[in-house]
Amino acid sequence: MNNKAASSKQTPAVRQQPQATTTTSQNRTPQPIIQNMARVTDPKHVPKEIRDQFLKKIHFCSQPYDFNDDTKNVKEKQERSQYLQELFDLLKEPNFVVNLVVPHLDLIIEMIEKNIFRPLPILKKTATNGEIGMEDDDQLIDPAWTHLQPVYEYFLQLIVNEQPDVKSLKIFITHSFIQEFLELFDSEEPREREYLKNILHRLYAKLVPRRKMIRKAINDCFYTLIHETYKFNGAAELLDILASIISGFAVPLREEHVIFFKTVIIPLHKVQTCQFYHEQLLRCSMLFLSKDPTLATFLVEGLLRYWPFANSAKEVMFLNELLEVLEVCEISKLEPLIPKLFKRLIKCIAGPHLQVADRAMCFFENDYFLTILKSYKPFTFPLLVPVIAQIADTHWHKVLQESLNALKTILKEIDYQAFDKALNNKDPKYLYIIQDAKNQKKDRQKIEEKWKNLTKQAIQKNPNFKEPIVPYSDTHIVGEHNGLNNGNITIL
Amino acid sequence: MSENPFEVLKEDMENEEVYLKVNAMHRVRVVATLLGSDKIKSQLIPYFETLLKKEDDEVLFALAEELGNIAQIIPNQSSCLLALLEQLAGFDETVVREQAVRSITIVCGFLGDNEIANTIVPMIIRLASNDTNFTCRVSAVSLMCPLYARAGNQKEKIRQKFTELCSEETPMVRRAVATKIGEIAQFMDKIHVIQDLIPVLKQLCQDEQDQVRLLCMESLMNIAKILNSGENKTNILPLIIQSAEDKSWRVRLALSKIFADLAEAVGKEIADSSLIQIFSNLLKDTECDVRVIAVKSLARFIKFVSPEKLNLIVPLLQLLSKDPFSQVKQNACEVIGQIASLLPKEYSQSKLQQYLIDLMADDNQDVRRNAAKSAGQFAAAIGPEALNQFVPFLKKCMDDPKWRVRKETMQTIIQLALTVKNPDVFNKQLESVFVMFLKDRAAEVRSMGLSQLPALIATYKQEWAVGNFLSKCVETLSKDVGSLYRINALYAIQQISFAVDGPVAQDRLWPIVQKCLKDTVPNIRFVSIRVAKSLSKKIDNQQTLNQIKQAINELIEDPDRDVKFYAQEALQN
Repeated sequence: MNNKAASSKQTPAVRQQPQATTTTSQNRTPQPIIQNMARVTDPKHVPKEIRDQFLKKIHFCSQPYDFNDDTKNVKEKQERSQYLQELFDLLKEPNFVVNLVVPHLDLIIEMIEKNIFRPLPILKKTATNGEIGMEDDDQLIDPAWTHLQPVYEYFLQLIVNEQPDVKSLKIFITHSFIQEFLELFDSEEPREREYLKNILHRLYAKLVPRRKMIRKAINDCFYTLIHETYKFNGAAELLDILASIISGFAVPLREEHVIFFKTVIIPLHKVQTCQFYHEQLLRCSMLFLSKDPTLATFLVEGLLRYWPFANSAKEVMFLNELLEVLEVCEISKLEPLIPKLFKRLIKCIAGPHLQVADRAMCFFENDYFLTILKSYKPFTFPLLVPVIAQIADTHWHKVLQESLNALKTILKEIDYQAFDKALNNKDPKYLYIIQDAKNQKKDRQKIEEKWKNLTKQAIQKNPNFKEPIVPYSDTHIVGEHNGLNNGNITIL
Repeated sequence: MSENPFEVLKEDMENEEVYLKVNAMHRVRVVATLLGSDKIKSQLIPYFETLLKKEDDEVLFALAEELGNIAQIIPNQSSCLLALLEQLAGFDETVVREQAVRSITIVCGFLGDNEIANTIVPMIIRLASNDTNFTCRVSAVSLMCPLYARAGNQKEKIRQKFTELCSEETPMVRRAVATKIGEIAQFMDKIHVIQDLIPVLKQLCQDEQDQVRLLCMESLMNIAKILNSGENKTNILPLIIQSAEDKSWRVRLALSKIFADLAEAVGKEIADSSLIQIFSNLLKDTECDVRVIAVKSLARFIKFVSPEKLNLIVPLLQLLSKDPFSQVKQNACEVIGQIASLLPKEYSQSKLQQYLIDLMADDNQDVRRNAAKSAGQFAAAIGPEALNQFVPFLKKCMDDPKWRVRKETMQTIIQLALTVKNPDVFNKQLESVFVMFLKDRAAEVRSMGLSQLPALIATYKQEWAVGNFLSKCVETLSKDVGSLYRINALYAIQQISFAVDGPVAQDRLWPIVQKCLKDTVPNIRFVSIRVAKSLSKKIDNQQTLNQIKQAINELIEDPDRDVKFYAQEALQN
């Protein structure tokens, strides 16, 4: 609370020209603390001069400067980095840490807060981002980074250091500290996020009494990503930390963790920026499943529910994940999901995107998946056989056509009779999936006619009846009728 | 022929494609109309219940919307939809929740106050107390605003719950209350606003999340609107001061954005005594984005403070007009133009004029453009005596390499000419700049001048039009400066012809056009035909009319297709 009041009193005008207090006097005595400390005979009683020198340097490093402009306060900035190096060196000697650093932990944490807790800059982008999934070569660089990095390094070493014990650190790591700390994860600077990740990771490991609070704060972060902002630069890093947290969970999982899996891990799949953290998300999911395989069906359900639309790169990721997750599923539990699952796969195979189709075909190379297929033969055969047979004859891509023919053989080998029966089915219900728009339209006509009649009746019954507007047509299935045009969406 | 509507809906909902299901869902009102209220309750609603668990979010979003429409079909019994809507309001997906809240509000429109107090308020409280799903609590906050006014003796309960949610640990909920606190205040008695809302607003304005503090800004303004000056001074002003010094530039930016409205809301007295000082700091902010927005607000802000206080702003404007960031300067130009009419003439002349003139020669074309525009406002505010100081610079602007700057300058000159209405001033100062449009390289600038010509002729009369101006046109026509310039001049002559009487058209204009009909460039020939045609409408003299006809007739055999076409067209009617 005190920190806040102090820092908020810094008016912007003051910040523009930071007062370089005590610069001149410090310049005359460039003797590093560490040398002075080395001369102290009784480490338990640090002389006042050294203590004052130490505090002065901490105070100096707490001063805010405009790091975006290299021409301003050049001297002070130089001095500042020199002091930070000194403070950093002090950490190497356990003696100094116990007698000098730990007693002043409050000021040190305050110094760190004043440096790193800042409104994140918007890094001005010169060009638009590359294609989704492509590696972005020219990273954006925050000009302040070179000045922030030593502070982060110091913080990291401070936490890694054995001397500051849990009890003395705990008081500073409050809820609001963690919340502000987590907000920094949205930084566009990857190196900053790497430090944040490492520091938070160590904090979590060290401060056992704060673990629950940290988990909750991370939860809130993800809720915001899922429900409000749809974009958070540090999602991958946070998931990295979570992965190691999850591996530490005891089995059987507590209810709290199961809820987390269902309300955070699964919905994270539907966020549009999912590609940026999918690798880490997949790792977390699989760790959860290794702890409790019964969660797998929920994840399969979630994947099918949040299946990407018009985003083939994401579809490939989903297919990869789906296959991995299916391997963990108990076959008997899958029953309610089987229709949705196989229809989705068929759509992928018959779809226009080659990579998606190829990934979907890979499912049939997996033995466990084939076992699932066989276990639900009465449903899967009538669905698969007619569709596969038809596209195996007509597919435009030679390699895929070959594997489709191979698949036909596999299916035939599994159960010749069922295959034949399904192939000769006069009214294959699922062929519509691979039908073109024209044929589909014909099928729709009947029911459209019915609706027309009903609408007429409704108008007769109530003259004020307003005819419904249907948002989508055969040729237009992307629309603004999903309520997502609320200005919050970042289009990638 | 007579299908069972419910069966048709169910059949269509069996579809595989989500978009078809969404379509079907939007047709639910057909089904509802045909089924009537009893069957809606007994069949449709139980069916919807089954959908909640298995359907995609898109379908549920459509359902949430259509429930609002069904309410309009069965207004008297719409409360039967509430159970479903309540569930949807707690859903995971944001858009579904938001739509459910909207539909609940529609349903409430059909309910009596009794029902609101006995059904809706408990529902809101239930949602607000749901500890497991923060989504319910967020929806509850959105529902409280429109329904508070109708809550009758339950108001206190809602108030209490609302303030409780303000101290919520979940940031999502705090963000929701920060957005809505200004809105709900509009429905409350003032005493409750002061007693209940102000304390939590203070708390939210100091929230650890800058997002929350940022969202408070708009609410701050809305609450300021309903308080009187004294109340604002004690309650709102400290919050404004605090936010202006917020460590997050995003909060300061949000404050800058609404500053003018805030000044209006708190009233002149506070604006004069305190806001100017606060605003000055925002105008000097270290973050350039804050300054850009602050200067933008300044243009409106100056209208809400007393003129005598404005001299505090002037030094800032001087500073801003030298800002390193061009967007700041661009916005500063506008303010300089507007503030001139509010300040004493001599004062603005001595303090700001030079700055504006410097801005007219800025490196950035947008700054120059805005400066040229503001120069007009500035000069108009000072009066004709300022003109001779500006005209040389405006003339310079007409030589600007960017046509947008020249266009803006042209417009400024015309505006000035139309406001001063003094032929002496016009002839001496402005006309020479104005006629530059005849020779401008950019079509945009030429047509800009042309479009305003009628207004100028109406102000400065025929004497000027056929005097100085016509001679300039003739000059352009006679010099071989390119056909586009000549066409422009011809159109200018056409404009003159509309304003003059027959003999003048015949004696002064026709000879010019006559010459042009024989021009070597086909485009000039057919434009001349059109101008000649409009001349002929003015002229009574039969002999001249015949001349015109004759001249056009000669062009009917012109080698150029377009000329032929226009000649024929002219002769036909």
